[in-house]
Amino acid sequence: MVLGLLTLAFAGLAAAFLTDSWGYPAPRPQIPLVDKALLDPATVRRSYRDLIKAKEDLSDFDCYGCHEKGHPPPLRYDENHKLIVPTEHSDVVMGHGTHGRNNNCFNCHNENNLTTLQPRDGRELRLEDSTELCGSCHGPTYRDWDSGAHGRINGYWNTKLGPAVKKDCVNCHNPHSPRFPGRKPLPGPHPLRAPGVSEPTAETTSH
Amino acid sequence: MPPTVPTDPLAAAAADAGMSRRSFLRTSAVLATGLAAVAASLKPLFEMEDITSAEQFMQKYYKELTPEDMKKVLARVEREVEKQYGIRPHVRDLKPMDGVEFAYALNLSRCIGCRKCVHACVAENNQSRNPEIQYIRVLKMPHGTFDVEKGDHYYATEKVPEKGFFYMPIQCQQCHNPPCVKVCPVHATWQETDGITVIDYDWCIGCRYCEAACPYWARRFNFTKPSIPADRINPNMSYLGNRPRRQGVMEKCHFCVQRTRDGRYPACLEVCPTGSRKFGNILDPESEISQILRTKRVFMQLKEDVGTNPRFFYYFDV
Repeated sequence: MVLGLLTLAFAGLAAAFLTDSWGYPAPRPQIPLVDKALLDPATVRRSYRDLIKAKEDLSDFDCYGCHEKGHPPPLRYDENHKLIVPTEHSDVVMGHGTHGRNNNCFNCHNENNLTTLQPRDGRELRLEDSTELCGSCHGPTYRDWDSGAHGRINGYWNTKLGPAVKKDCVNCHNPHSPRFPGRKPLPGPHPLRAPGVSEPTAETTSH
Repeated sequence: MPPTVPTDPLAAAAADAGMSRRSFLRTSAVLATGLAAVAASLKPLFEMEDITSAEQFMQKYYKELTPEDMKKVLARVEREVEKQYGIRPHVRDLKPMDGVEFAYALNLSRCIGCRKCVHACVAENNQSRNPEIQYIRVLKMPHGTFDVEKGDHYYATEKVPEKGFFYMPIQCQQCHNPPCVKVCPVHATWQETDGITVIDYDWCIGCRYCEAACPYWARRFNFTKPSIPADRINPNMSYLGNRPRRQGVMEKCHFCVQRTRDGRYPACLEVCPTGSRKFGNILDPESEISQILRTKRVFMQLKEDVGTNPRFFYYFDV
């Protein structure tokens, strides 16, 4: 009698499990995959040195294709003493330094030879050596960059096994407006959560 | 004449129970044999006198995998991955290098909280994508405090960095004194000579003690079977590193052993757009990590008061 009842009960349970009376948990919400392009370790900008290395077209840097040798191009200022960027150079946004004090092309470019740069110490530098120019004003940062504390080094920490590639200032900073621009952050943690519960946001979690 | 009192307590008990001489002798024989067996089983302990470390003990009494055995294990992992994802990986068992101890430094003045490191890590280390496991957690912290309780790791603003906040990425701190290793009941996680605390995913029983012990919330548990699209598998794998895990095991940041023990930088450092992340050999006085720790204002090891002594340092520029 008891045995019969037990058998029946177990048979009933087996049938319930087989027919899945409770149902599987609902599938988890999809988490979009991050675009692979965003995970490229390449730097934001390419330096003149990179362009030379990649043997790319350097005609943009052929200053004397337009300018005349021996005649430093004149600089024009508006009524607020702000430099008027000529339309030929409209890609240049003058934003170096606070209070608009760095307001003169020839603080860095050499007016007597536009294909070179002039730091304040009187040297004449090639475009690919622009890091030296930056260092002539930004001494502590240059020191940190030189020791590896500032800036990017990619490749190998163990230089016996492979090359370490030290990036130049202009690989990350636009020399005309060097402040590092903000960007949209990639998605944060997606905690395990019950179906139907939305992703936490800064509003729901802020303190 | 008064009855004699037996001096032997066993004999007394036998007398109390009304035991016959024969059964008493039998019990004594069994007991003696048992004692001898226990003594025999404890013999290794008495021989331990000249063994100085636990490591030596393990070497003497447990069989270590020979290089041939390891080859077989790696081939098995490769087979399993190929069967599951249709991709033939290259699985290695990279050993720590001599004279190398890794350390990490992160520049809090530079980090903008873009979370590129988080996702480069997910891609490099074959973490599950749904549910997504992330080793690095970036805290958005209000200026003026280092209280991690005030940090928010779910921020999803249009643009970072935000005014009034700084960003503090936290991952496994590779402690000198790791609490996670101490609590593991099966020795599935341990610290290697280059300072990396690793996990043997085949040995882990998923008890999550280590997750509870870690003061940095650095360990992650595979609650479900990890799901990774085949085209996102990184075939450069290491046994103690980024080979695919199974359900019910722990995982965590291992300083990308498959890269760093090959001389390369970890994936999170490679992708950092601001150069906030610095990594290297702290035993080499000329490495950039040594220079930073020597010359920069290193403000802390996170939660240094708990005595874990991390190999992960946070520093400032000014």
